[in-house]
Amino acid sequence: MTVLALTARRRSVRVRRARRAQPPRSRSLPRHARAVTRAAAWETRSFIAASAAIAVAFVLALIYLAGSTGIASVGYQAQRLRAQRDELGRQNALLELELSRLDSPARIEAEAKRLGLVRVPYIPVVTADPVAVQR
Amino acid sequence: MAPVSSARLRILFALFAVLTIVLSARVAYWQTVARPTLLEQANGQILSDQVLHARRGTIYDRNGAILAASVDLRSLYAIPARIADKATVANDLGILLGRASGPILERLTSGADWVFIQRRLPEATANAIADLHVDGLGFVEEPKRLYPNGDLASHLLGFVNDAGVGQEGVEERYDRVLRGTDGKLVAERDPADREIALGLRESVPPRNGADVTLTVDLSIQTSAERELRTAVEREHAASGSIVVLDPRNGAILASASYPTFDPSAVIAADPAALPDRVIDWAYEPGSVMKAITMAAALQDGLITPNTTYVDTGYADIGGRRLYNALGEVWGPSTMTQVLEHSANAGAVFVAKKLGEQRLYDALRSFGIGTATGVDLAGEAPGILRPLAQWYPVDLGTAAFGQGLTATPLQLASVYAAIANGGTLYRPYVVASWRGADGEHRTAPAAIRRVVSERTAATLRDMLVATVDKGIAHAAHLADYSVAGKTGTAQIASPDGHYLDGQYISTFAGFVPSHDPYMVVVVALEKPRSELYGTVSAMAVFRGVAEDTLRYALVQPDR
Repeated sequence: MTVLALTARRRSVRVRRARRAQPPRSRSLPRHARAVTRAAAWETRSFIAASAAIAVAFVLALIYLAGSTGIASVGYQAQRLRAQRDELGRQNALLELELSRLDSPARIEAEAKRLGLVRVPYIPVVTADPVAVQR
Repeated sequence: MAPVSSARLRILFALFAVLTIVLSARVAYWQTVARPTLLEQANGQILSDQVLHARRGTIYDRNGAILAASVDLRSLYAIPARIADKATVANDLGILLGRASGPILERLTSGADWVFIQRRLPEATANAIADLHVDGLGFVEEPKRLYPNGDLASHLLGFVNDAGVGQEGVEERYDRVLRGTDGKLVAERDPADREIALGLRESVPPRNGADVTLTVDLSIQTSAERELRTAVEREHAASGSIVVLDPRNGAILASASYPTFDPSAVIAADPAALPDRVIDWAYEPGSVMKAITMAAALQDGLITPNTTYVDTGYADIGGRRLYNALGEVWGPSTMTQVLEHSANAGAVFVAKKLGEQRLYDALRSFGIGTATGVDLAGEAPGILRPLAQWYPVDLGTAAFGQGLTATPLQLASVYAAIANGGTLYRPYVVASWRGADGEHRTAPAAIRRVVSERTAATLRDMLVATVDKGIAHAAHLADYSVAGKTGTAQIASPDGHYLDGQYISTFAGFVPSHDPYMVVVVALEKPRSELYGTVSAMAVFRGVAEDTLRYALVQPDR
């Protein structure tokens, strides 16, 4: 055998080895191997879907909680405002009563007396008719 | 590791099985049999069942001034277990409340979980207590009826008791209208006692009471009460009453009794001050009734103002001799002079012409012996005995107002009929009320015509002469013609005799006489000046009339 022939044989052996080391082509994979591959893909997809569902549910729950909290907060605020309105109404009623008390003729009369004012003993009234006749 | 014996495993399994069964049974019990109890307890913790108080209606005078209104005032309560230094707190509260601290401390140490310290506090006091920031003290709001004019018109208004029910006067008569209907709120509450917005909420809103407007004028009422109080105090009278009517429709412009009371503090009032003497004090009115006797005789044409008789100072009737007051003898007198002198003998002369039946009919027609029907609680009808029970002398005594009783309001109605031309009106005090279904107005109610317009006009002139020239001259006004009549009645004792030196003095009059704006009746019980108590009654009339005519801008007619 010549050196050239020996070299060519060695090259051929390396090529075969290299081909063996390469991954097999799909069409050339066995059935069970393909099934394993598909299962792995489904798991990935279902994991993503479940994660997405959980995330959506979480977001929805957050939205619901935010809404509930917001409504509760507004409810408390409305309650505070109602209480404030009622208190202002009550204060207003008290002020109206105080105004009535201060406006009372009896109080004004007593106050006038205290200030030294006196009643006019006589108020002359000129009737219109005689004046009109004279003119 | 040593193997566990199967016997031990079995025992453990049995133990868990029994526990599971017991727990399951317990859970089943709470979920079925005891479920209502649990629900009730849970609801009790989170649901509040709150009464929504209806606001009691406000009472206004005819010009819109508030006479009575309800507001929520703060009541002070304590949770003693949360108060650390009870003695100091009791002392502080005693100072602010103006009370002794002892009773407050007793309450705080009574062992109660929750106690009221004082209810319905004035605002300033409540604010001062709130500023103390004492843990264990709190406030709850409770409705309180307030009367901004104090004791003014208290008898007319009445009052409201602690249960919120109207008593006496307008408050009682119109309680159903004023009170309204309470509502209810069931709501879920959080631990901080705040209403949960998304929780259960069932609400029945309250229906507030109607606001009521009276015919009363606060200015006239003030004048009437001032003049009455002055006269009663000057005369040391046991009591007094005054009523002012609009004769054109029977509207009550003012009504007062003395002594009086503060309707917002009735518990402190003298019980003798509570009755409204204008409507429930029926007494023998005396000579003010001569106007009815004259009206009946004028109406029947039995007399004219100039009909003359000879007054001898007395008249014999039914086997009895009835005298003029103070034994006066007037000689020949006209019917106008009978009123001017208030001659009892003259009244008997007229009564004899009328006869029992006609006089009785006239008295009934003018409303004597029958309640006027005024829209106030507790009106007395007075007494007019049936004709069948009359003694012969009753014809004479009834002619000048004895042997029968009438209230000041009945007398005012009689004089209003004479003033307005002969129509008897039902007096009324509520002009209108405004409720959820709109406004209700009281229409003046003419009961009947009691005399013709001509008779009323003739009698008015006779009554003007009584004021201008006669016994009622103290009621004279410079610029207005006044018609009126005095009455002095003895007071009957329980044993059927008249009390010596004790009288009821009455004046009934109206002004201006030919187009009357107001009818006033004043009555003083047991005045110090005895027979001359009518002078004080007329002074009251004059004071009220001067104030009112000036205030109402009534044109002088003289």
